[in-house]
Amino acid sequence: MAIEAPKPHLYHSISLEAAKSKLGGGGRKKLDAPLNLVAYIDMMTVLVIFLLMTFSASGEILFVQKNITLPDAHNWSELERAPVIGVTKDVVTMDGRQVATGEELMKDSATGDMKITELHDELVTAKNNYKLLHPQEDFKGVCVIQADKNVEFKMLRKVMFSAATAGYQNVNFAVRPKARGGATPAAE
Amino acid sequence: MSVSVDTGGKGGKKPLNAELNLVPYIDLLTCMVAFLLITAVWTQLARLQAQQKGQGQAGEETPPELQVKIVVLVNQEGFNLVVGQDQIPIPKKGTDYDFEKLTAELKKAKEAHPDKNDVQVASEDTIKFDTLVRAMDTALEQRFPDISLIDSGAAGI
Repeated sequence: MAIEAPKPHLYHSISLEAAKSKLGGGGRKKLDAPLNLVAYIDMMTVLVIFLLMTFSASGEILFVQKNITLPDAHNWSELERAPVIGVTKDVVTMDGRQVATGEELMKDSATGDMKITELHDELVTAKNNYKLLHPQEDFKGVCVIQADKNVEFKMLRKVMFSAATAGYQNVNFAVRPKARGGATPAAE
Repeated sequence: MSVSVDTGGKGGKKPLNAELNLVPYIDLLTCMVAFLLITAVWTQLARLQAQQKGQGQAGEETPPELQVKIVVLVNQEGFNLVVGQDQIPIPKKGTDYDFEKLTAELKKAKEAHPDKNDVQVASEDTIKFDTLVRAMDTALEQRFPDISLIDSGAAGI
């Protein structure tokens, strides 16, 4: 039997080389654990593509209001920034502030006056602000009416009349866009 | 954080694994996802454009008798399409408005007057907004892009 140089060992029967290989190599072996990132990157890429497809440069112009179900339309145009008048059966709001109640609007006024004074004043203020802030631009007289689909025309008529007397001749009705029916949308 | 690409080399002595540094790519993706989530518009809304001729201010400069006027009168009985002097009543089908017939009649009106672009939708007080929007939508579909929404009293019929 040949004589060998002694090697490190724990006990008589267990050599330290075997223990080292079990416990990680004592500094010689790499401790990097490979992390599989393919699935994570796939998911992120799909998410980015989806979000880019639904991205709107104009941002959120209209917020969905409580109690308002918008009607559907096939021949719609893109929304543009304008004062928003919300009309539900109970209340009329202008940029989120209440300007009239449904009860007031459904009543026939004794004088036959259809103007909603508070709404008219708010719209005139908005018009004056626009003219002050945009002195070089013409005032287009555009406002957006976000009305519930079950609102009667009687209420809308008063709202539209108030807008017209305040100088807003171009009324846009907010709708839920459906697949286009192949016709040309409203002219700009 | 890296991904190794095994290019073989098991037979040879030198491993040919190439490591791709994915940290900047993941950073970019994370920033984009965060930005897009913050600026995302979840409610897609659109508009129908209407004008208010006949209310408040003067509308057309040409006298109305010199122009063929197309009016869709909406009342409780149904529609009444007025093209010039002709009146075409389109009664309801049961409880629903007959939008198919309105589409057909507006198509005929467009064929008869191809240069005509404006239609007035005149409504009674009790008509629901949904019906009016569908009537305006039908007119837009038949290539009448200038829609006016007016009171039935202001239509002069």
